[in-house]
Amino acid sequence: MGSSETYSFKANLFIIWSEVVKNIKFMMAYPVIFVFWTIFPFFWFLPFIFQCQAFVGGLHSANFEQFTGTSDYIPFIVIGAILNGYVLTSLYGVGESMRREAYRGTLDYLLSSPSNKAFILIGKALSESIKSTMYAAIQFVVGILVFGIYVTIEIIMPIVLIIFLLILGLYGIALMLAAVSLQFKQAHDLAHTLEYVFYVFTPVRYPLQSLPFWAQVLGSFLPLTYALIAVRSLMLLKQNVLAVYQEIFLLLVVDVVAIFLGFYLFDWMEKKTKSSGSISHY
Amino acid sequence: MKRKGKEFREPKKFLCPYGFTLANLKAEMRAIWENNVKEWKIEFTYPLSFIRQSVEPLIFLLPFIVYGLVLIGGRYSDSLMSLVGTGDIVTYIFTGYIIMGFIGTSVWAMGFGIRKEQWYGTFESIYVTPTSRISLVLGMALHSVVHQGISVFFEFLVIYAIFGLALRIEGILPALGILALMMLALCGFGLFVSSLALVLKEGWIISEGLYSVLMILSPVAYPLTVLPSIAQQMSKVFPTAPALIGMRSFLIENYTPEVMGNVFLHLLALDLAWIIFGVMIFYATDVYIRKRGTLGKY
Amino acid sequence: MVYDERSDDYSIKTINLAKSFRKKRHKGVFGFLKRGNEKEKSETTDVTVALDNVNLGVRTGELFGLLGPNGAGKTTLVKCLSTILIPDDGTAIINGFDIRRQTTLVRASLGMVIGGERTLYWKLTARDNLMYFASLYKMPRKRIKERVDELLGTMNLLDRADERLEDYSTGMRQKVAIARALLHDPPVLLLDEPTLGLDPTFSRQIRNQIRELSRKEGKTVLLATHYMKEADELCDRIAIINEGKIVAVDTSDQLKAMVKETELVEVICYNPPQNVEEYLKALCPDVEIITLIRGEEAKGTPSRIKLIGGNAEKRISTVIDALRKKNTQITSLNISMPTLEDVFIKLTGAKLTEGSMGAGQ
Ligand SMILES: Nc1ncnc2c1ncn2[C@@H]1O[C@H](COP(=O)(O)OP(=O)(O)OP(=O)(O)O)[C@@H](O)[C@H]1O
Ligand SMILES: [Mg+2]
Repeated sequence: MGSSETYSFKANLFIIWSEVVKNIKFMMAYPVIFVFWTIFPFFWFLPFIFQCQAFVGGLHSANFEQFTGTSDYIPFIVIGAILNGYVLTSLYGVGESMRREAYRGTLDYLLSSPSNKAFILIGKALSESIKSTMYAAIQFVVGILVFGIYVTIEIIMPIVLIIFLLILGLYGIALMLAAVSLQFKQAHDLAHTLEYVFYVFTPVRYPLQSLPFWAQVLGSFLPLTYALIAVRSLMLLKQNVLAVYQEIFLLLVVDVVAIFLGFYLFDWMEKKTKSSGSISHY
Repeated sequence: MKRKGKEFREPKKFLCPYGFTLANLKAEMRAIWENNVKEWKIEFTYPLSFIRQSVEPLIFLLPFIVYGLVLIGGRYSDSLMSLVGTGDIVTYIFTGYIIMGFIGTSVWAMGFGIRKEQWYGTFESIYVTPTSRISLVLGMALHSVVHQGISVFFEFLVIYAIFGLALRIEGILPALGILALMMLALCGFGLFVSSLALVLKEGWIISEGLYSVLMILSPVAYPLTVLPSIAQQMSKVFPTAPALIGMRSFLIENYTPEVMGNVFLHLLALDLAWIIFGVMIFYATDVYIRKRGTLGKY
Repeated sequence: MVYDERSDDYSIKTINLAKSFRKKRHKGVFGFLKRGNEKEKSETTDVTVALDNVNLGVRTGELFGLLGPNGAGKTTLVKCLSTILIPDDGTAIINGFDIRRQTTLVRASLGMVIGGERTLYWKLTARDNLMYFASLYKMPRKRIKERVDELLGTMNLLDRADERLEDYSTGMRQKVAIARALLHDPPVLLLDEPTLGLDPTFSRQIRNQIRELSRKEGKTVLLATHYMKEADELCDRIAIINEGKIVAVDTSDQLKAMVKETELVEVICYNPPQNVEEYLKALCPDVEIITLIRGEEAKGTPSRIKLIGGNAEKRISTVIDALRKKNTQITSLNISMPTLEDVFIKLTGAKLTEGSMGAGQ
């Protein structure tokens, strides 16, 4: 029994590894795409900066400070945009991967292979995180140099930890999406809808307190909410880790729930797909 | 011999309308319409997708408004008032955001229309018909414009219900006229983008990039005076800036004749320039890909 | 009107048509920024000659076959004629119109069936597809509806006309594709592998349809195919194309007459040895051509060894003994009746098809 267990464990590691290698190779082959994902998030938040200049007539907003503790809105939205990048890559990179496999016609092959399918997804997730983290790192450097984001040696490790927890939670959600897309043809629309939910109900562009109560409740189920609050407390309000332990703890809870649900749902959907046949054509 | 004396009827001589005739113009118009109808038929095989796409603009509009409200702590901005003569940010942003969907028409629907046909595998079949490819792209544009119209209406309903809007009803018709002038130039621009998409492998990056750049260079959520002066100069090349100035002066303020005159002349010049440029690039690309043999490839 | 074999009335005429492709390796948008070493540079400028000075004339009302193996340039020729490709050199006249200058009229004169699975909208019904394309052919609105019904009728698709093509079989989709080519009643039809991937029954139906179109409707048909039986069975004349060159044009009978005088032996067998061609060549150096056409033996299609020319018949016993020694199971021997394939082998020294001889009865 032991030997087959270790074999399958090794095999699973290998699956993860080869997914990562495949995706990194793909990234190297298309440098344009890499450059795109690094640069474009800046284009997406520039309008918000100009908007603010037009509306408050300067770089500081007193009203903004009431909600966020800082009147400096530029670093606020820069951080929002950078972390939101993880949402995009996890939803479209991992969540939609099943749909892409189905489109390429490799889904049936994938499902019939003996390995645990979730491990293939972990491989995808890992390579997506490596990519997103490269984008994020470059964007943070630009943010620090150009947009006045504050950073000290002490807060780097906590930020890495928060981002790591954010990734875990997002991949739990992406796993659910991947699971649903095994059965549901229009998973693409679902991915977009999730993107909207993240965009509107988390403090990417504005503090959560400015939304109605029900929207705040919805936002409190999303890992990005806690990650944004924590990272901003460290980088904008110059607080130390102890001040954000609550957010980190809640993020951890959301992660555990999301990952558990993700695996459970994927397992269930996979069994269902195997018995009822997968969606073959698109 | 096998086939001596096989007999058949005379082939017909009249083939189809062509050239610069009224009959041909009518035939091309019908082709545009049928392309639009076809797009709708395909779209309605995914009804959920249709709903999502109709709601999407609202989702991306809301953060601009919420963010603006948080910045000011109300819906009236003195700073905006001094810049453009109106302080109501909700109405200002709503009227600006209207055009984003139409930018999408040119960079996505037109820009990627041909690419999509290549992806379906139908492009070569369309290509061998005597209808102009421009009619194909314009059909896609028509479909998209209707789609954006639905979205704008939806945005209007929701924003009106939540925040209320101060619009001048009598300004709607002239504003639509300006929108139409803007669309002409955007169609030329769309032909240009679709040429780029045909030649470049990662053409979607071009579309996404142009969309973002046009968003920055258009006075959607802020007047262009807050931009660096290079950006202000660049924005003059695109029809969205004069169109928004014109539409807002009809929809929000009282228009002044001299501003409107400038807007009209500016838009007419851009229409002419973009249509000529777009059509020329489109035909040049057509010859280029037919020489290279990449017409059917995706 | 009567089809005349000696007529000078050509519906398709190509004049020194030439087309080459650069073999280019994909490098992405900014590929030109990447530097390659010298060796890579010479690789990137490799050229494939797809059409080499093709001069063909297809008479009005003729059913003309274009026969050649994979990669011979058939599709390239069809695409040049249909204005999808611009030739490097030369031109062609279709229905009296120049493919370079009068593209719209050429397009209006042509009906095309392009090989490939997805040339129609799978998300639309057969009727919607046809109505859509009819409007692209600028047909009068009133005519469209009756013409679509008429064609759906001839194709036996009326009862399923309002189903989406994604629920159709490949053969039915191909019928819709042919109906589309006929919508505007064009005088000239270009068919590129119209029976590719279809089962024998559908293939036969479609071939009958093509024959009818030529006989009854008087369409000029250019049929590109690599099934020699298809060309043999249907076509008035056949052009054999190989590596972009037209190597022969004539009726099937005349073409076969070219190899008739030479001796021809065919050994039908299972399990021939690996390098059987060289092996037999060494034993019978006086036989001009010895070639193996592998069948799908697992599926019951035997392999065939062809001996052409020289003293092929005298060498039969040598060959049989030699094959027996190698444990080859010989099922029968043919001495006679050349096929178009023999013509092809004689003309080019290459094989027309690998193992797909049985396809398309
Ligand atoms: N767009 C292209 N770019 C580069 N090479 C091409 C292109 N189109 C065709 N070729 C090459 O030209 C040659 C002729 O191809 P063509 O498709 O005309 O052959 P074919 O006779 O139709 O073959 P098949 O029976 O496989 O359809 C081939 O070597 C092919 O690789
Ligand atoms: Mg071919």
